[in-house]
Amino acid sequence: MAEHLLALRAAVMRRERVSHSTLHFFAYAFIALCLVFAAIAMATGDVFFFRLATEALIFGGLALAVDILLGYTGLLSLGQALFFGYGAYVSGLVLKEIEPSFWTAMGIVLVTATAFGAIAGIIAIRARGVYFALITFGLAQVVSKIVFNTRELGASDGIIGIPVIKTDFLLFQVDTGHAPSFFLLVLSIIVGLYFLVAYVMGTPFGRTLVAIRANESRVPFLGFHPWRYKLAAFILAANVAALSGALYPMLRGFVSPELMFFQVSGNAVIMVIIGGVGTLIGPLYGAAILTGLKSVIGTFTEHHLIVIGMLFVLSVIFFPKGLVGHARPRIERILAARGRES
Amino acid sequence: MKTTSLNLKLALAALGAALSPLAAAQGQPIRIGVVTPLTGTYAGIGQQVKWGLELAAKEINASGGILGRKVDLIYEDEEANPAVATQKAEKLFQVSNVDFLTGTVNSGSTLAVGQVAERNNRLIATTVSFSDAITGEKCSPNVFRVNARAGMQSAALAEWLAKDKPGARVFYLGPDYEMGRSTVAAFKDAAEKKGAKSVGEVFAPLDNKDYSPFFGQIRAARPSVLYTSVAGNDTVRLFTQMNEYGLTKNLTVVGASGTLTSQNLGAIGKAAEGFVTGVGYSPLIDTPENKKFVADFQAMHKALPDLYGADSYGVLYFYKAAAEKAKSTDTDKVRAAMRDIEWMTPQGKKKMRGGDHQAIQDMYAVRVVNGQFTIVAKVPGEAAIGPDSCTRF
Repeated sequence: MAEHLLALRAAVMRRERVSHSTLHFFAYAFIALCLVFAAIAMATGDVFFFRLATEALIFGGLALAVDILLGYTGLLSLGQALFFGYGAYVSGLVLKEIEPSFWTAMGIVLVTATAFGAIAGIIAIRARGVYFALITFGLAQVVSKIVFNTRELGASDGIIGIPVIKTDFLLFQVDTGHAPSFFLLVLSIIVGLYFLVAYVMGTPFGRTLVAIRANESRVPFLGFHPWRYKLAAFILAANVAALSGALYPMLRGFVSPELMFFQVSGNAVIMVIIGGVGTLIGPLYGAAILTGLKSVIGTFTEHHLIVIGMLFVLSVIFFPKGLVGHARPRIERILAARGRES
Repeated sequence: MKTTSLNLKLALAALGAALSPLAAAQGQPIRIGVVTPLTGTYAGIGQQVKWGLELAAKEINASGGILGRKVDLIYEDEEANPAVATQKAEKLFQVSNVDFLTGTVNSGSTLAVGQVAERNNRLIATTVSFSDAITGEKCSPNVFRVNARAGMQSAALAEWLAKDKPGARVFYLGPDYEMGRSTVAAFKDAAEKKGAKSVGEVFAPLDNKDYSPFFGQIRAARPSVLYTSVAGNDTVRLFTQMNEYGLTKNLTVVGASGTLTSQNLGAIGKAAEGFVTGVGYSPLIDTPENKKFVADFQAMHKALPDLYGADSYGVLYFYKAAAEKAKSTDTDKVRAAMRDIEWMTPQGKKKMRGGDHQAIQDMYAVRVVNGQFTIVAKVPGEAAIGPDSCTRF
């Protein structure tokens, strides 16, 4: 009996290892694609696509936050843009009014977003299922309307004139106005966030979240408080969204209440679904695909929303698990075969 | 040594002079980017912007273009979202290499795109945004405005009020949000300077269903004029309810230009009669230029132009006048030419004030008579423009 259990455990762990390395394979492939893109863009002296790709990565960070909640905790957030916009406003205000420093901005965003996430989380995670989705949606609407009507925050016009900043990284300097280097900086931050989140999801904490997603009522019988874990996941997701949002004003030099609107939250959910729910790296692919499509199709036709809507419907019908979710079993098989060989 | 370098410079200059007009003259069209909402809430405004620009481009191209070059319009949908607008503007500046950009509708987009223009050393002009900040505290050397700003609309209305109803007792009713409060504050200021007496103000929530709780307060203040800046369906409810309660007797209702539009006028019907507002354009302006413009616009698009269509039509002539004065499309030269330039539009001659890049134009007070906006007064541009509050350049 014990032997049987041990064998089962070993098999489960092996499967998990393969599954993890598959996701990391997608992550490395993503980084490689980004670097190839950067090399081509640098060689052709392009600026626009560099900055568009940077924006895609920033929104990818927001989608990553949505996936923490949706893919691991089973909570659909329809208002994640609240934290994205929060990070953008705090970072923009710090850069413009206090000090044009990357580290100060990111530091203040990290600390305050934790507090803000905790407050919003205590309100939101009391509800389950569709009620959670509605509460997150409502919170984002309320806060964006408050910002929209607060003259000190620029009201409906937002805040412009957020300066281009230079940041020292001991060995080198990054200028947010220099498209290639800022792209690489954002790439390393977003990919860094991905690896951090992927690591956290592999710890017992992450497993408890998955257990909550599977069956929340049974988790207390295992001796865990679902409430605490959900709150922690909510705060983590708030921070990932806020830190990504903090990069936005560095790229575009402005913030506006539209960054908190449902359009942004909704797009993030679409990115997660296109890329693959519960894969963490999928949302980054989804962000790159959606941002690229929107920019290209929008130039050709004013009916771009119809085209993108149709593509979304088709992708949900034919690839319900998203891009990464769909390709994953194939890569897994290859990796597993290689694992047996070695 | 000195002579060779001089010779070289001369040779290069000659070569440059020989090449540049050649390159410019040979087919290279002047590209004008249009970032405007083609979908969403403001799609109707974007449509007018597009129509106005298309008519002007057709006319300009038929008569030889600008500096002998054809005009090419390149559209991008901004979805009335500054975050989308900046991205699209950057694409137009860097990938499509446009010489000039226009079309932004909401003020947030205009301000954000203006900053993109500044960082790309290009010029933009808005034909729709009316937030005073664009040519005031947030002015930019790269942003021009050819349409009338909010302050000019209220100044025109206040001017008419002072003439038509001297010493009026004015009550203010605005929607309770930032824009609503600031429009009321701006008009109150303008009206009081012209001798009107403020007798009270009240702010109703946006999307308010029942205005009757405010009516007691209004009646008690015994105003002769009611100013309101509510919009859309709020206007429909306010006007019909005021009519039902008999409040409109001996009361002149005036308001912001967005309060009553062709979109909600039909729903209000008779209750809208007599409403007066200040605007920068009306299709009924009785000048040969405007009559020709309205006829051509209707022939091309089967619809009447509104102020957005007229101002967007005018902006191409503004660019044409400036580029031809500068004999170039170079940003610095065109900017210098744009400052204090005068050009013809359907509204008559406009002048671009150099100090804040705000166009000076004649304003009109219009009144609803038999369901139609009719012009009741013309306010000269100089009286409506207000002081230059831009300090950046």
